[in-house]
Amino acid sequence: MSAAEPGWGLTPVADDPETAGLFAAAAAGRLVAQRCRSCGAWQQPPRPRCRTCLGDDLGWADLPGEGSVHTWTVVEHQISPSFPAPYTVVLVDVVPEPGAAPLRFLGHLDGRPALRVGDPVRVVFREHGGVHLPDWVPADAD
Amino acid sequence: MADPDGWQPDACAVVGIGTTEYSKASGVSPTALAARAAIAAAQDAGIDVRDIDGIVRSDYDEASAAAVADTLGIDDLAYWSQVGAGGAAPAAMVGQAVAAVRSGLARTVLVFRALNGRSGRRLGKGVPAAAAVGGSSSYLELFAPYGMTSPGQFFAMVARRHMTEYGLTPETLAEIALVCRRRANANPAAQMHERELDRDSYFDSRMIADPLRVFDFCLETDGAAAVLVTSAERARDLRQPPALIRSVAQATAPRLGPGQMYPVLMSDSLTELSSTRVAKRLYARAGLVPADVDVAQLYDCFTITTYLQLADYGFCAPEDAVDFVASGALDLGGALPINTAGGQLSEAYIHGMNHVVEAVRQIRGTSTSQVAGARVSLVTSAPPPGGSALLLVAS
Repeated sequence: MSAAEPGWGLTPVADDPETAGLFAAAAAGRLVAQRCRSCGAWQQPPRPRCRTCLGDDLGWADLPGEGSVHTWTVVEHQISPSFPAPYTVVLVDVVPEPGAAPLRFLGHLDGRPALRVGDPVRVVFREHGGVHLPDWVPADAD
Repeated sequence: MADPDGWQPDACAVVGIGTTEYSKASGVSPTALAARAAIAAAQDAGIDVRDIDGIVRSDYDEASAAAVADTLGIDDLAYWSQVGAGGAAPAAMVGQAVAAVRSGLARTVLVFRALNGRSGRRLGKGVPAAAAVGGSSSYLELFAPYGMTSPGQFFAMVARRHMTEYGLTPETLAEIALVCRRRANANPAAQMHERELDRDSYFDSRMIADPLRVFDFCLETDGAAAVLVTSAERARDLRQPPALIRSVAQATAPRLGPGQMYPVLMSDSLTELSSTRVAKRLYARAGLVPADVDVAQLYDCFTITTYLQLADYGFCAPEDAVDFVASGALDLGGALPINTAGGQLSEAYIHGMNHVVEAVRQIRGTSTSQVAGARVSLVTSAPPPGGSALLLVAS
């Protein structure tokens, strides 16, 4: 899925120095997170320096395209014209490599899908206002 | 007395409190509201308002220190500072006033929060629509494009996680809303003074961001609250019985995260927030333990916010918080009466500064829901992303 979905969404600023790499990778169909080239630590959200070794040689490393539901909310009261209610915002855990702590990403689902903590999800990429960004759908979705 | 890092208990006091009317449309500017609350606080203390020489404000406030000083006829302001973010600030703002007084930078410090939270900038409206959202190190670009645009949605996610980890139930959140409403029903100044709320009405109410209903959300208010801080020595000569500042503490959450609030969703745990650390520092400086607290004003931008602080401030174990609330502990006459003016949920949303005012009333014995014999009065200001808290004691 990469086509724009009319009717909802906000376009992210995609050129902030800290986060631009996430959007650039998404445009190439890659899910990435910031990783320190010196010590190998992962960090999300991305930051100006590595919090672990204080180095500033940071890069973007590929992540698996599978995650699990950490928590969610069903938004029933619409406050933004860009997001017709009801819709669901999901917080996703992605384990970057075996044994590493999960990194978290946001996702958007239409309506009120039945969810449980731990449910498997997979990454998709969508485009809004010319910016590509990662999003998530249930692992068994078409 | 515990004194782990040079903190001096009871060196300063809150000597004056003042508020405006709490309304939906003040018709005046936040600066005018701040001045009204400041004048009321000065009159309460028996101090000439022009003798204020220091001001501490919130980073969210539209009233600047300079504008408030100018409005009050203060010709020579010697000290000003600000604390944020938003609801995390009020207790820490009192701490800044103590720092100023103790260091000699100021003698009489006004601490205020003023806002047209209903008729002006409504914080619940969240991220404004724009051609593109985020950037400038706000990190909103990682959240708003998915529809995470408002603080209530953030706290709903935290609540949902608590339901999984600790068995939080909607009944628990309802009880917090109902307790705050009963205190407001006793407080003629509260916006919800005449609006009773029962359990059925709570569960019949609109879901806003599941699992949070409309009554889990704080009010939206036009108004201001202010306190005056000076040395304990000087406080003895003033009009009111001083509320001594036993301790103040600030702390950040583990792996705080950049930006303001939303990046907390990416921290290690949604259920281990800054308040655990605030509490540890606060009690150590005070030489007190949770059981010493007679009455608490626990920050309540949402019911879940209050709930998650119960364990963090040591009133129960995390796995016992649901039972603690169900026991009636939070009600008047319970083990830990909370939010005795009605709180942000039912008195007014002054970003927690009205909690400081009410904590002082409890020390003076003048609350509309007075806890008999209260001598140790706790105020907390937000957990995420950082937070602060204040312990007041009777002299």
